[in-house]
Amino acid sequence: MNHQTDQAENGVMTLPQCANADGQLPSCAPLANPYVPFQQTGADLYTASCALIRGTLFPGLDLPYGGQENTQEKLATASVELQQMGFALQELALYLDTHAEDTEAAQLFNQYVELYQQAIEQYQQGNGPLTLMDAAANGTYDWLAGPWPWEYRKER
Amino acid sequence: MFVYEKKLQYPVRIQNVNPQLAAIVISQYGGPDGELGASLRYLSQRYSMPYDALKGLLTDIGTEELGHLEMVGSIVHQLTRTLTEEQMKEQGFAPYFVDHTAGVYPQAASGTPWSAATMAVTGDPMADLVEDMAADATTM
Repeated sequence: MNHQTDQAENGVMTLPQCANADGQLPSCAPLANPYVPFQQTGADLYTASCALIRGTLFPGLDLPYGGQENTQEKLATASVELQQMGFALQELALYLDTHAEDTEAAQLFNQYVELYQQAIEQYQQGNGPLTLMDAAANGTYDWLAGPWPWEYRKER
Repeated sequence: MFVYEKKLQYPVRIQNVNPQLAAIVISQYGGPDGELGASLRYLSQRYSMPYDALKGLLTDIGTEELGHLEMVGSIVHQLTRTLTEEQMKEQGFAPYFVDHTAGVYPQAASGTPWSAATMAVTGDPMADLVEDMAADATTM
């Protein structure tokens, strides 16, 4: 008994004939195989400053919850610069984890590594050490000086 | 091995204390779909992951989630940093305050402490990845 043929004869709908182990939507996809679309290579990217505000480097993954969009521009402080470069680097690393063969993305990753290192140097001049590696770079142990990252500071 | 960077991933600067909001936001710290669970889920699932690409992905996402945990902890801390007795009582913060005062404790908004029972590590890559999608879908 062919259910799909019956439907066609009744004029309800016409569906393609698939193997027993296949289903519909998409056409004749194997049964019981859920999938998530794989991110394509060479897609457009946001700038690092835009990415930090949007929460993603990839316009294709920019899906604001309930249509609520963060549009608050950040001031150009050494701290924000560090966060922007760090976030772009993080986003590219996660992308490259599953797209290691994308040499263009790898080159961009290297450019952001350089920009991140420059941002660290700028940041450390006014804000103290970022990691223990630089904690005593000035000859004294400056690691403990606040404010610590979770503490409220008035300035932006 | 982990190296600490003395910064937040994204700025947290909250001017006004709001214990009522803190009592809700705490769920994103130590609730069933919070950042602590997210981090431990990915960092624990990677041991039985057979593919290098996904060993790397679980490691890198699990590490980033620790950065998210720190941001949410900062939000709760700043929302409760100067608390008057009136604010605490009127804004429903007393049940949290009695045990934790202005500390940041990994619990759900309901008061349930964080539990590994809210996450899964099955050793089966497909089962684990499907669980990851379910967990992340709660925040999307």
